[in-house]
Amino acid sequence: MIPATSSTPPLAELRGIGKTYGTGEHAVDALVGADLAIYPGEDMIIEGPSGSGKTTLISILGLLLRATTGSIRIGDREVGQLGERDLPALRAKTFGFVFQGFNLFPALTALENVALAIRMKDGKAKDPEGQARALLERVGLGPRAHHLPADMSGGQKQRVAIARALGGDPPILVGDEPTAALDTKTALSVMELLRGLASEHGRAVVVVTHDPRLERFADRVVRVEDGRIESNLPRLAQAS
Amino acid sequence: MWTLAKKILLHDRIKFAVASAGVSISVMLVLVQIGLYFGFMRTASTLIDHARADVWVTKAASENFDFSTPLDDRTYYRVASTPGVARAERMILAFAQLKLDSGADLGVQVIGIEPHARLMAPWNVIDGDVSRLGEPGAITVDASEWDKLHLKDVGHRTEIGGVRARVAAVTEGIRSFTTSPLVFTDLISARAFTRLPDEAENYVLVELAPGADPARVVAALRRIPHVDAYVADEMSARTQEYWSSRTGVGAGFFMTAILGIIVGLVVVGQILYNGTLQHLREYGTLKAMGARNSAVVRVILYQALISAVVGFLLGGGLAVGARAAMAGANLSVALTPGLFVATAIVTAVMCTLASLLSIIKVLRLDPASVFKV
Repeated sequence: MIPATSSTPPLAELRGIGKTYGTGEHAVDALVGADLAIYPGEDMIIEGPSGSGKTTLISILGLLLRATTGSIRIGDREVGQLGERDLPALRAKTFGFVFQGFNLFPALTALENVALAIRMKDGKAKDPEGQARALLERVGLGPRAHHLPADMSGGQKQRVAIARALGGDPPILVGDEPTAALDTKTALSVMELLRGLASEHGRAVVVVTHDPRLERFADRVVRVEDGRIESNLPRLAQAS
Repeated sequence: MWTLAKKILLHDRIKFAVASAGVSISVMLVLVQIGLYFGFMRTASTLIDHARADVWVTKAASENFDFSTPLDDRTYYRVASTPGVARAERMILAFAQLKLDSGADLGVQVIGIEPHARLMAPWNVIDGDVSRLGEPGAITVDASEWDKLHLKDVGHRTEIGGVRARVAAVTEGIRSFTTSPLVFTDLISARAFTRLPDEAENYVLVELAPGADPARVVAALRRIPHVDAYVADEMSARTQEYWSSRTGVGAGFFMTAILGIIVGLVVVGQILYNGTLQHLREYGTLKAMGARNSAVVRVILYQALISAVVGFLLGGGLAVGARAAMAGANLSVALTPGLFVATAIVTAVMCTLASLLSIIKVLRLDPASVFKV
């Protein structure tokens, strides 16, 4: 993995991001003055205790949640003020998401789940099934392409979810506790896969986790506490 | 999207079977109830619809075709001499009691027609000789009433209104709305059976002269004192309207049909909504990944339409089966192509409406919610 340098323009950048839930005396500051830049080829881990603001941070990064304050740039474009109609297309083009619970359609095979996401992201996508097959091969599930999620292990389901997230070739993969439901061996192999994907095509991988064992896969570890980014360091620097 | 919709539906086959059953029962109820209504209405106006009369003349203020007030022959002659009238025939329609072999009486509706009548005559004659209706006491009886009237064969003798009657011919498919068997005979026998005075009749049937304007002839006929006149289509519609709205028959049938639609709405709506809740995280994931609301809504709408198509086909088949079963009970279910098309549209609308709750749920689904396990 090639750590990003300050001379490389970021894929996405959050500046002074704040998020307040509720109003008046019930207002809760979930995130305060958060700055974060995501660089191509970077494998970033965001960690912190429950309720620290990690999920709010990646929801805002993934354009799923609007910030109360601050600015968001995707590439060289300010997107914080974009209308709701413009966001789905931008999300489809920029992000792939992987979740703890896999969120695969149980009625669809692995191939169909991935092809559906490709078709939903781009109604004019050429040969979605062919693309889905190639993505499943990429995550090592070619032989399981026609299996239903119910016939797969947790690790295999998460690989299908990763293949689905890769549909449309987004530059940023966002994972929310993607290994939380997996045993240690499987969790490590999933992280290995995500790390490998980060090295392809200058793609960035951002993973939220509670699991300190996963730090070794990261180029950069961001620690969030009480709604603030307490540290944002290259892993080696953090280790030292 | 079709594939996804189909697979989501078929993944849980029991739920899909319940949804299909709900729609098919709803479709069957709608088809059978409205078919029965149409059947009854056809039956109510069957004599008018099978007559060759262009205009019907009746006593003024007679609301009901089956219970009209008699006219007299002076009216008949005035009708016959009205400009634009090429032919006029008298017709009697009145109730009488037919003596059964058991000695009991059974009400029948007697239709008295002119000798050699051209504007009203029995149709679908399957046995006997209808030309012998001019003989004293000769009658036709419909085959569907054969057992009810304890008749044995053509030539069977009985009494109507205490007057001797003899079956001269048998018809098929001539049934009355009032459930009293229809009996054709000539004017003289009809007056005897129903104890109508000589020179009395209930209707004068009119054939217009070539080129005559029906509206002008009707207007002219209405100038005859105490007389109303209607072109045949109007007479038919008026008769159906009477039975449909004055008696509540129409409201009864349509209420049941509406109940059928409500049953379908509730069953399909509940199944679709449960399915949507079950897949909410998956829909949220698709939205998070950039799927537009329209794409996700299409998946739900397609599920509704698949339920509609399967339910309609099953329900249509059940309705056809019900029609065959009801024919044995002398009930006419008029399943017309138009009724099938209308019911198909109603079914599609019903299933689409049933999916509204699911659609609202998905439209309101916050894609960020997928991060909350």
